[in-house]
Amino acid sequence: MALETHDFQAFRGTEPPRFANRAELECAKVLDYYGLPWEYEPRTFVLETDENGRVLEAFTPDFYLPEQDLYLEVTVMKQSLVTRKNRKLRKLRARYPEVNAKLFYRRDLERLAERLSLDLDE
Amino acid sequence: MTLGEVYFTAAQLRRRVGELGAEIARDYAGRDLLLVVPLKGSIVFAADLSRCVRIPHALDFLQLEPYGRGSGVKLLKDLDADIRGRDVLIVEDVVDTGLTLHYLNRTLRLRAPASFAIATLLDRPYRRLVELPVRYVGFTVPDELFVGYGFDLEQRYRNLPDLHVFHRERGSGRAA
Repeated sequence: MALETHDFQAFRGTEPPRFANRAELECAKVLDYYGLPWEYEPRTFVLETDENGRVLEAFTPDFYLPEQDLYLEVTVMKQSLVTRKNRKLRKLRARYPEVNAKLFYRRDLERLAERLSLDLDE
Repeated sequence: MTLGEVYFTAAQLRRRVGELGAEIARDYAGRDLLLVVPLKGSIVFAADLSRCVRIPHALDFLQLEPYGRGSGVKLLKDLDADIRGRDVLIVEDVVDTGLTLHYLNRTLRLRAPASFAIATLLDRPYRRLVELPVRYVGFTVPDELFVGYGFDLEQRYRNLPDLHVFHRERGSGRAA
């Protein structure tokens, strides 16, 4: 996906972020604008393994905000379709209770877009 | 364009703002209270709240540059007052992600106020991305768009005495 390039100031990761969609890019731009340090997909959490230790299910949240110690997953799916992501988040909280994670829904993004005139279209 | 229903009447708003004002007056009695008002959405709430805080206090204003004009957030209008050693209370119309207030918190704390806290008319804590010292909350509200009582839609409707829901399908634009 060809997304515009952006000179991020508050990005704290090592590898340049490769966003999966426009919404992730816009989120990154908002975090950056307000000077909130962020990383992109810095950690994958194993949610389920088989008896041999092979990973059956994993979850890589989109953003990590180190100052807030908060993982942020951005979803552009409609509210009715986020069940799978919610289930992953519940599993994450059950298996890693010390991890602080939040799902940023499509409606949250739309609110931000309305307030800040973001372009969420692909 | 048709507005949605009234969510809080002017009387409900007046009652709650009066309660907040009394609470703030109790908490800040004998202190050097400065109400800091970010322009423009907070002006109606701040004007009412200030008159309900029945202790001596000062008012000052600031304005942030709208999102997207530059590479980072900055103040279009800074405070006139020196806040060193004073008790700063930000008077905000609504707190949701907290990103704007996080910037103000970070920036104003560098000026060494005696204390720093936030009073907001509306709160959406379930959308918060950053922790903030929100000490006074008028109402916790659902994820609706609001206009009136200072909240605007393309700079209109701020003057409405009641707080209205604005239904998305009836229009689009910036609102609370």
